[in-house]
Amino acid sequence: MKVAILGSGTWGRALATLVAEAGHRPHIGYRGRPPGGFPGSPNLSGLVRDADLVLVAVHAGAVREVIRSAKPGPREQVVIATRGLESGESGWLSDIVTAESACVQVGALAGPAIAAEIMKRQPSAQIVASEFDAVCQRTQEALHSASCRVYTSSDLRGVELAGACVAVYAVIMGLADAMGQGVSVRGVVITRSLAEAGRLGAALGAQASTFAGLAGVGDLVAAGSHPEHPGYAAGAALARNEPVPDTLAAEVGALLTLSQRHGVDMPILQALAAIIAGKLRPRLAIDMLMRREAKQTER
Amino acid sequence: MSGIVSPSTADIASALKQRATMRLRALSDDALHAYLADALYQERRRVERGKAEDDGQPAYIALLDEAARAIRADRGRMQRAVLALVGHYVAEIHNRFSERTYNFATRFLPGALTRLLTAAQPTQLLGADFDPASRLMVQGPLEQLRALSQNHTLLIAPTHLSNLDSPLIGYGLYAANLPPCIYGAGLNLFTNPAMSFFMSRLGAYTVDRRKSHGLYKDTLKDYSVESFRRGAHSLFFPGGTRSRSGLIETKLKKGLLGTPIQAWQENLAAGKKDGEILVVPCTLTFALVLEAETLIEDALAEAGKSRYIITDDEFSEARTVASFARRVLSLDASTYIRFGAPLDLLGNPVDAEGRSRGPDGEPIDRTEYVTDRDGNVIRDDQRDRVYTARLASAIAAAYKKDNIALSTHVAGFVTWELLKAQWPRLDTFQLAVLRPEERRLERAAVLAGIDRAIAGIRRRAEAGEIREALPEGGAEGLLEDALFRFSGYHKRTALRQLGEELEVGPRLSLYYGNRLRGYGLEKEILA
Repeated sequence: MKVAILGSGTWGRALATLVAEAGHRPHIGYRGRPPGGFPGSPNLSGLVRDADLVLVAVHAGAVREVIRSAKPGPREQVVIATRGLESGESGWLSDIVTAESACVQVGALAGPAIAAEIMKRQPSAQIVASEFDAVCQRTQEALHSASCRVYTSSDLRGVELAGACVAVYAVIMGLADAMGQGVSVRGVVITRSLAEAGRLGAALGAQASTFAGLAGVGDLVAAGSHPEHPGYAAGAALARNEPVPDTLAAEVGALLTLSQRHGVDMPILQALAAIIAGKLRPRLAIDMLMRREAKQTER
Repeated sequence: MSGIVSPSTADIASALKQRATMRLRALSDDALHAYLADALYQERRRVERGKAEDDGQPAYIALLDEAARAIRADRGRMQRAVLALVGHYVAEIHNRFSERTYNFATRFLPGALTRLLTAAQPTQLLGADFDPASRLMVQGPLEQLRALSQNHTLLIAPTHLSNLDSPLIGYGLYAANLPPCIYGAGLNLFTNPAMSFFMSRLGAYTVDRRKSHGLYKDTLKDYSVESFRRGAHSLFFPGGTRSRSGLIETKLKKGLLGTPIQAWQENLAAGKKDGEILVVPCTLTFALVLEAETLIEDALAEAGKSRYIITDDEFSEARTVASFARRVLSLDASTYIRFGAPLDLLGNPVDAEGRSRGPDGEPIDRTEYVTDRDGNVIRDDQRDRVYTARLASAIAAAYKKDNIALSTHVAGFVTWELLKAQWPRLDTFQLAVLRPEERRLERAAVLAGIDRAIAGIRRRAEAGEIREALPEGGAEGLLEDALFRFSGYHKRTALRQLGEELEVGPRLSLYYGNRLRGYGLEKEILA
């Protein structure tokens, strides 16, 4: 199977490694310098037309431009392997594919798979979600190997949302660790942040089990523990008052917009947005969250 | 060229039995047993309860008896019993289209609509006394549809409000010089002898919605697939039944809607060049709806689920139908049939030549959705279900955009919202049963609300989110028009003037106002 991977960054190369491990042929679509170690092409549309599966591995803000260049057609199967939302009206990265091209067979990939660990051939697991069984099956075939287990789901919205939430909650994990908070805080952040993500998911018709699985708990435990994960690293930078990537504020903002549109309260996300905007000091944020009114049930 | 195809019952029965045989082959012995047992159990129950009077003929009873024996026998006998039932159902479903009857009926319809619906004998239908063109507004890209109908098979997919929808669309197709369609009509509509005579010759095939077992549903779907394959333009209501609440359909049923994609792929696999099928969403807009009172009662009682088929609504009262027909046809421009922009089976728009267009406006080869790189058709039922869901969403979006706001809708919408504001603690049901003295509104407040509604609707119409055909004269003109239209038709009050106040009929105001839900107008009505 020929798998086109759009994006030659660390994550794109990690995916190419997984494809090769599974016995298939990765081809990386790139801009600028060719990626080392894998065949590639700057001609995205040619690459896509010739591939059995397309994995998109650029950051959320670049997905639209890449899809416009690649122009996947009705026959192509495109899986968003990037976590996040695009700021704007719809936000869903899989919707960008259908809105910008004739392709409708789309999916999303998430789960505990850290690029640095994949490159070291350490075990990982992922979940691919799509309305189309064929997309799930082909992605599983393309990535499943002795070093990576791949599960399938029909909960596209749930997996996309869980992935987008994990990407930003990992920032809080990095922030808390850098501030010297204990393991109890880690436990609280993991459960309470996924609880609020699950509430938003429920409002969007996503399945609760998605947030308790690989795309939710699994991914957050991994992403929120690994110093090389971009979210975790950004959290540590925030604690040190260092600059964070510009895209982070946009990703948090997109999630907040979505939560407001559906009337879902997400206090942890709101606190993170305020910290990134420089309106709230991290220690004060923790204090505020802890002083919230006591609740009878854990929802 | 596509058109109405009118195979003999034997021919269509043979084709459908072949399809059934293919389906049965894929079933295990246990699954085949369960398939037949389900049909048998449900039909026996209906017959025993005496609710199958039209199916109670000895031949059908004998088929059920044989099925009961076959279910305890070997696979071959079970298959034969299934095929025998398929044959019976095909004979019940299939009616032969008559071009002669079609030409006759369309010439006099809807001038003879009243007679058509009430005449005891077909011969009473002679005579025409209305100019239909000034009563029924037929709109849309008609020229494009006429051209496309020459070399494509069309599926007309209308919104559904009234039992009059089918004959009205039939007339709309005729008036627009579009070809006739076959369409499924409920068995209850065939009880009127004149109606039955004409419907069975105007392309109507019979659907018995009381039969809900898989065998009957599969036969109906196969009938639809076979019709599309043969190039018959078809019409069915994707919403299933009439909208009880008056709301525009947002969730469409996927059963029959999935049949054209199957037919299309079969034609592609067979190398049939003229087997392309396009979908035409069609929005029906009435200033008055014949069955409004019964339908909204049903919606409020939450009894209008699909399993409950109303058989004794206003449609079954000949006088009411006649009164309605006279009223509708004597009011200018009170009924709109709007054919929407045609779509492919994935919900993509198509151009003048019927080529699919992608989001960027570029032509796309739609066969790529179902073929591999070598052009071989790849069958995938799960994929096709998702494709059908996409098509359903595209049709629903077209309904919303092509909905036409009329004076009765605006008056209903505004008065319901004002009633709600007047009684903020009451829920929908409590509002619906307010006493007459409790449901009065100041005329001035209603006019102010209508004024804001008109502004909101016109703004949305300019943005292409809805259409409008509101009368001239601002809020005053609209209110007068609505009062005039409401007066005298419904048994219950919809809206009437009492000095400086207006008495609102909450159920009918809810029903007519519901046509404007989903546009975010609610917040703009109140000052």
